[in-house]
Amino acid sequence: MTRTQMRSALGKAVGLGSARDGVENWLLERVSAVALIPLTLWFTVSTVMHAGDDYATVMAWLRRPVTTTLMALLLMALFHHTALGLQVIIEDYVHSRMKVLLLVGMRLGCLAMAVTGLVATLKIAFGA
Amino acid sequence: MIIQRSDEVPDITLLKRFPVPRNFGVSAGSRIGKGRTWPAPGGAARIRRFDVYRYDPDSDGNPRIDTFHVDLDDCGPMVLDALIWIKNRIDPSLTFRRSCREGVCGSCAMNIDGTNWLACTRFISDLATPATIYPLANMSIIKDLVADLTHLFAQHRLVEPWLRSRTSAPERERLQSPDERHRLDGLYECIMCFCCTSGCPSHWWNGDRFLGPAVLLQANRWLTDSRDEATGERLDDLEDPFRLYRCHTILNCTRTCPKGLNPGKAIADIKKMLIERRG
Amino acid sequence: MPSTPTDRPRPLSPNIQIYRPQLTSVLSIANRMTGVALAAYAVALVAWLVSAAAGPAAYTTVQSLIGSWLGRLLLLGCTFCFFLHLCGGIRHLAWDAGYGFSLRAIYASGWTAVAMSMTLTALTWVVGIVLAGHGQ
Ligand code: SF4
Ligand code: SF4
Ligand code: FES
Repeated sequence: MTRTQMRSALGKAVGLGSARDGVENWLLERVSAVALIPLTLWFTVSTVMHAGDDYATVMAWLRRPVTTTLMALLLMALFHHTALGLQVIIEDYVHSRMKVLLLVGMRLGCLAMAVTGLVATLKIAFGA
Repeated sequence: MIIQRSDEVPDITLLKRFPVPRNFGVSAGSRIGKGRTWPAPGGAARIRRFDVYRYDPDSDGNPRIDTFHVDLDDCGPMVLDALIWIKNRIDPSLTFRRSCREGVCGSCAMNIDGTNWLACTRFISDLATPATIYPLANMSIIKDLVADLTHLFAQHRLVEPWLRSRTSAPERERLQSPDERHRLDGLYECIMCFCCTSGCPSHWWNGDRFLGPAVLLQANRWLTDSRDEATGERLDDLEDPFRLYRCHTILNCTRTCPKGLNPGKAIADIKKMLIERRG
Repeated sequence: MPSTPTDRPRPLSPNIQIYRPQLTSVLSIANRMTGVALAAYAVALVAWLVSAAAGPAAYTTVQSLIGSWLGRLLLLGCTFCFFLHLCGGIRHLAWDAGYGFSLRAIYASGWTAVAMSMTLTALTWVVGIVLAGHGQ
């Protein structure tokens, strides 16, 4: 028998103890979810309204300050929510050393996507 | 189909099991082999087939599924009666836990036709054909239907399920108003059968750290007790991405609790307390 | 001590392989899978914005991709994933606020979420197709 097998059941259950953390992530996932309800509905309705429209019309819509503002908010809330959701999924299913790598990669990916989307939105708004 | 009470057995199920391979993520020693088919009793008029999970720790064999045929005219009405009948009439080595045979001790919890329930409070007439009997899902198995609950009880011990008070003991009992007492309803009735925890997918994947619905319901029972004075420390110990927040409100727990309790709600209440104390 | 069979690690009883799918667990995993799908669609949204920012040529290419059969099928999938995740999300927010925990409410809201997401998907597409027809 190895030492680890002789650890008491309570010792194993306690593990490294409570992180005294978790409310924050949980709350932010909900807050971003609430924000996404109007934002995603706005986006869905808008895209449906522009179904079949040509480039010029779509660009005219995208250039409106309201669109730029809402699109920026949508991108930030969307990728924040995505990052928190994917974090939970990775933590649930990945138990190897890959976990940290995946978490960091996922975070960076979400951040990169959010920034790219924002830059594109601003370029459309202020570009030539 | 709207389920209203946890004791309802669904008569329409689109999917009998999730479309995953039989041995999905199963270690070599846990793979289930073909077992033995015991002949039907001669002369029986009403017979029911039971496919039962078996594991014998004293042999080198893997777990297997044995098939039994129970003479319903010679047997009581509940699943536990059928198991006792098999043990008495067919195979005395069939091993399972039971004590009260009336749903108050929590010993006979097992997976019956795919969901967890107490064998003593499930009617044979409600079973599928063939009936499938497994131990509680996702448990380390000691023998046949007997699961090793050590880790689950250690997790229970972890939340210190007893009164923690700094006020020195009064002359007589610690008083509680009728209202304060009523707040424990739906929490104190838990019989620690672990049907809920064993049916919780989140506990399957992270049971080493996630406390699971049974233990969290008990944690809430002590958080709710008006006589307890360690609420803050209790919440500190629970606030953890794994201990508490692995609960994703799947609600398999509430669906399966044979006492009709609501562990999912109890957990949501803990999460609400943690929000409440922040602001 | 001689090695006895009981020294073997104990087997683990089956979990997902045998546990009956129920509305509770099926909608939970559906919420998760649609969430992952929507993450991919979010990347597509960024690609679309970038193409729009890049100019009419890039935009036309992306639009023709979306207009292809596969593109439309993926867009239909996106719409359904979005509405299912939205309805499921609203259910979750209600639970987090402490409402809808009776089994009856769990099942009623679950089936409502399924029906609503299909209806809203259909509605979105009918309106979209009608409007696109008018635009041309
Ligand atoms: S509500 Fe939480 S504890 Fe209950 S089955 Fe779901 S994840 Fe498990
Ligand atoms: S909450 Fe219900 S299912 Fe869970 S251990 Fe208690 S009695 Fe059993
Ligand atoms: S034997 Fe006690 S609960 Fe079934």
